Amino acid sequence: MDSQPAIRAEGVTRLKLTRTVVSILALLLAASSASAKGKPPRMPELPAQAAPAAQAPPSPLLGAVQEELNREMGVIGKTDPPAYFLSYTVTDSDRSEVTGSNGALLSSAQQRSRWLEGQVRVGSYQLDNTHRVGNDGPGFPGSFGEPVPIDDDPAVLKRAMWRETESQYRAAAEAFIKVKTGKDVQVQTVAQGAPDFSQEKPQVYYGPRASYTLDRHPWEEKVRLYTHSFRASAAILNSIVTFTAQAQNQYQVTSEDTKLQFGEVRYRLELFIQGKATDGMDIERYYNFDWTDPAGAPDDKTVLAQCAVLQKELESLVKAPLAEPYAGPAMLTGRAAAVFFHEVFGHRDEGFRQKDIGEGQTFAGKVGELLLPNFISIVDDPTAAKLGSAVLLGNYPFDDEGIAAQKVTLVDHGVLRNFEMSRQPLNGFPQSNGHGRRQVGLPPESRQGNLIVDSSYKVTSARLRHMFIEEIKRQNKPYGLLFDDISGGFTFTGRSQPQAFQVQPLVVYRVYADGRPDELVRGVDIVGTPLVSLQKIMATGDAPEVFNGYCGAESGSVPVAAAAPPLLISEMEVQKKQTSTDRPPILPPPAHDLQTTDPQAKVN
Amino acid sequence: MTRRRIKKTILWIAFVVLVGGAPVIGFGKNAAPIPQAGGGQIAPVPAGETDKTLAALHDELERSKDRLVLPGQQRPYFIEYRLLDLDERVISAEFGALLTSSTTRNRFMSVDVRVGNYKLDSSNFLSAEGFRGFLGSTGTVGIDRDYDSLRQDLWLATDQAYKQALDSFSNKQAALRALANAPTVDDFSREAPVVTVEPRVEPDWTTRNWESEARTVSAVVKNYAELYNSRVTYHLIYTTSYIVTTEGTQIRTSRSLAAIEASMGTQAADGMPLHNFLAVYANRPTELPGADAVRQQLDAKGKEVAALRAAPTVQDYDGPMLFEAPAAGSLLAQVLPPSLSGARPPLAMNTRFEQMMQALGGRSEWMGRIGQRVLPLTVDLTDDPTARQFQGHDLIASYQVDQDGVRAQKIALVQEGLLKQLLMSRRPGPDFDRSNGHGRSAFLAMPRPMVSNLFFTASNGESSADLRKRFLEACKQNGQKFGLLVREMDNPVVASSSQEELSDSLETLATGAPNGDRMPLLVYRVNVMDGSEELVRGAMISRLTLRNLRTLLGIGNDNAVFYYAQSQDAETAGTALGAFGSANGGVPSDVIAPSLLFEEIEVRGPHGEPRRTPLVPPPPLQ
Repeated sequence: MDSQPAIRAEGVTRLKLTRTVVSILALLLAASSASAKGKPPRMPELPAQAAPAAQAPPSPLLGAVQEELNREMGVIGKTDPPAYFLSYTVTDSDRSEVTGSNGALLSSAQQRSRWLEGQVRVGSYQLDNTHRVGNDGPGFPGSFGEPVPIDDDPAVLKRAMWRETESQYRAAAEAFIKVKTGKDVQVQTVAQGAPDFSQEKPQVYYGPRASYTLDRHPWEEKVRLYTHSFRASAAILNSIVTFTAQAQNQYQVTSEDTKLQFGEVRYRLELFIQGKATDGMDIERYYNFDWTDPAGAPDDKTVLAQCAVLQKELESLVKAPLAEPYAGPAMLTGRAAAVFFHEVFGHRDEGFRQKDIGEGQTFAGKVGELLLPNFISIVDDPTAAKLGSAVLLGNYPFDDEGIAAQKVTLVDHGVLRNFEMSRQPLNGFPQSNGHGRRQVGLPPESRQGNLIVDSSYKVTSARLRHMFIEEIKRQNKPYGLLFDDISGGFTFTGRSQPQAFQVQPLVVYRVYADGRPDELVRGVDIVGTPLVSLQKIMATGDAPEVFNGYCGAESGSVPVAAAAPPLLISEMEVQKKQTSTDRPPILPPPAHDLQTTDPQAKVN
Repeated sequence: MTRRRIKKTILWIAFVVLVGGAPVIGFGKNAAPIPQAGGGQIAPVPAGETDKTLAALHDELERSKDRLVLPGQQRPYFIEYRLLDLDERVISAEFGALLTSSTTRNRFMSVDVRVGNYKLDSSNFLSAEGFRGFLGSTGTVGIDRDYDSLRQDLWLATDQAYKQALDSFSNKQAALRALANAPTVDDFSREAPVVTVEPRVEPDWTTRNWESEARTVSAVVKNYAELYNSRVTYHLIYTTSYIVTTEGTQIRTSRSLAAIEASMGTQAADGMPLHNFLAVYANRPTELPGADAVRQQLDAKGKEVAALRAAPTVQDYDGPMLFEAPAAGSLLAQVLPPSLSGARPPLAMNTRFEQMMQALGGRSEWMGRIGQRVLPLTVDLTDDPTARQFQGHDLIASYQVDQDGVRAQKIALVQEGLLKQLLMSRRPGPDFDRSNGHGRSAFLAMPRPMVSNLFFTASNGESSADLRKRFLEACKQNGQKFGLLVREMDNPVVASSSQEELSDSLETLATGAPNGDRMPLLVYRVNVMDGSEELVRGAMISRLTLRNLRTLLGIGNDNAVFYYAQSQDAETAGTALGAFGSANGGVPSDVIAPSLLFEEIEVRGPHGEPRRTPLVPPPPLQ
């Protein structure tokens, strides 16, 4: 999301590196859905682990990195305090982006870059410089890395590695001295007694270089076409469509003899429109397509159909009545259910949150307990590339700490079994399970990959709706709420920075018990602890939907997927959302202004 | 470390205040008659002109002027659309290897809507309201140069700007009620509309292989193994800017800027950080020096760094100091500009803002002193945006119309030592209420009074040899064995190769600027007996302010052009630190000045504890 339209509101000031870093940190989830079209897969049968692709010859880059690593470790491994772990990652990125608005291109560019990151750990696996003392937050990592030449020049790369190592070692050594003192001064929790870094087997893998060939011109035409389609609606104030293609190749070398080279190509098309209700509430609709094979690109017909859906939703929302405070039965359909699980369960099950004193440690100590209804099971499986025909964005062969991705059962029939683990161990969970992830430039933390929710109490959609209406009647409510789309910390407008796990309903219907047609409402805000709602799931549908998005948290923005079947929940509480009070524009859109009589209006 | 971080935080808070604190309300003496609101006719698109951008700007402006009003509220009395076409090629290389190479094309708009009238309007006031929603009054617009999408973007931006103006104006009127004296300086000057539609210049970067040049040029410093880092960046920039207003101004102008900026850094054996830089500017990419010439210049910079590493540290010093010609220009670019702006100062009751400006050396010492002596009686100071060359050297700050849409004027700021005029944008000040065509900015930033081509000349200028003789004499008379000479001033923004290094420099300067702290790059100890020179490192000049210029011991006749980009970062623009900019976002400027001999300058040697040198020796570069 490097080029989100936030810039439209921020003027032209050139940003400096610091500000860029801050905005990287501020990135939050931009998520949406790619419906798992075609045959809905039967849930327990997840795709088999992607077989490791054929190995390729190692890049000369790896050799250069290894040489400099050996030279550095020869010194800082013997200095006081000694470094016990050293790693380097070079991320080679080739990114093309075409973006447009209201029928015209905003930009079209291709950018090649390489970024070097180093990590130095001082002390020991048990206690090192990353140890958190008391309420201290994570220390400054010493450096966010630096750009390195896109030309293969071993000497220049080594020079950059040398600079990185120096600043990383200096920061790590300073931090380690503070940790040793702080540990003696402050009381340590039991959780903080777990080691700071897990011991893992080295991994060696040389995958083929990922690359793509692309003519941007046809995409420029498409972006114009799609944004132009939105001009038909006077309710759409602004539209932005962005196409991106990115080939990213990672090279990792560690002092533990891990040597990895692997890459991936990703394509994405995002549709975004904005409108305003008469009372000033901002209305936004968003949709994205993700694919990994050039042949998987959506055709114009598919995209334009989706544009029409967004337009219709926005036009309806602009006119929809405001929601009233409500507590009662709720149904979450496909993508709303997936986002809900990602935000409400997935983030809380991230390993490092169980250790960090500043976190809720919601699930710490609950392993083996019934946390969810006994028909719900959840896995996180980054080895899965697809679910049905839908691409899963959280697919990767190795995580950002060089650990092979693993399918992990987090919840088994309602019982909490495991966490998404990075190399930061917990008591009872000494190993990583391949979920240490980060946005380039930030230290990895435990994160989600592909969160996949399954149910052993599945009913058809029709049956689920019937149960929903029965439950509304049983509770003597006039209506229940159906959530069709929910966003996470969705910051496409750059307007605010909601908390990472805040869930914001976007498309909500009242479903009446008396058989009246469903009624769209706007301005819904979920209140109370959303986690409680997960415990009140009564049944699920049988057709899972996938949402793909970029999820933002402490270690930056990473691609993820979540999949879940529709959910019926016995109670959910909502209130009215705070809203902007700026009136809609005073004059009609220029293209819809009947008073325009000026002969000058069109040149040519 | 922690204390330093706290200090940094304070500094950045200060900066944030400055960002938000863009001038508020001012007070003045010369009450002007209230002009009639309304104004002229919107200029029609010239006959035969096929530029759809002009048409869209015109049509949406006309519609807004006629019909944009909220029931029960005032209509705008002034609307201005600015639009910028920006084509940019940026190529970076280090030690012979290509780092990045990008070609970007963007367009931006900025809409200004004012309610009230020229005397008192919605501007110059910081509304308590923050960002109001996704529909901003600035932003990127389509690059297709089409009619429809631009109308749509202008429509939303105008609507937003109008609502913001209404809000600001009512907040401002409420705030004014609390003041004992109503402001007497107008908010906005009335100016004659300018219509000038120049042909559009299209970018052309095909004339040379820039990537190859960047590689070749940057490779030369591989000879200096002691350099920790080095980077060479080529900026090739083409812009076409549009201004149309409800007063009848209609402008389309194109210009280009090309720059080579290079940095290199290392540490001395005792840990002192050392850096050097090269900054070359030209009006067009084709006018940049070729790779061989740049290699030579960069090689010389490398030699200087090597010499600095070997040089002794400077001792504390208090005595005569000679600034050679290009370095004197750089010094003037730091010392003069804060006092050359005649725009209204910040709101007097907001003392915090004033303190911040003052802390960064941004307070005008010349406002309210028209007619008084401010420089030696032999000195003239002129700013001339219409000048194109000096002694065969192209100047880079020439323009016909400023960013307020006002015609450029040659301004005699100081004549025979007496202050005559100040640089004016359309924001009036206590001394002058009309613009003189110096509202400058780049990339659609808010125009502010800035120098363009600034000429410092003396009727009694003497030759370099005579000036040097006078310098050594003065040192002798003081009983000194040595005198200090500055051959080059630092620019931490161009010279720093990491954000950390830059923050450290700016922090030092930000706290020291009000006391006249100045950062030289190349300082020599000159033996008064035989004139021999020895390079020294670690010098920081203190207490060098505008006052020192009044007591110059001597002035050369060796005027030379100092080229630089003025920073327009909200944090530093208009302060002494504003001289530190780069082609990446800066406003091209130059100072033409001779060598200057100061009577008494204080220099401090190195202070603070430098960081140790790296544990591991650097890997070989070749």
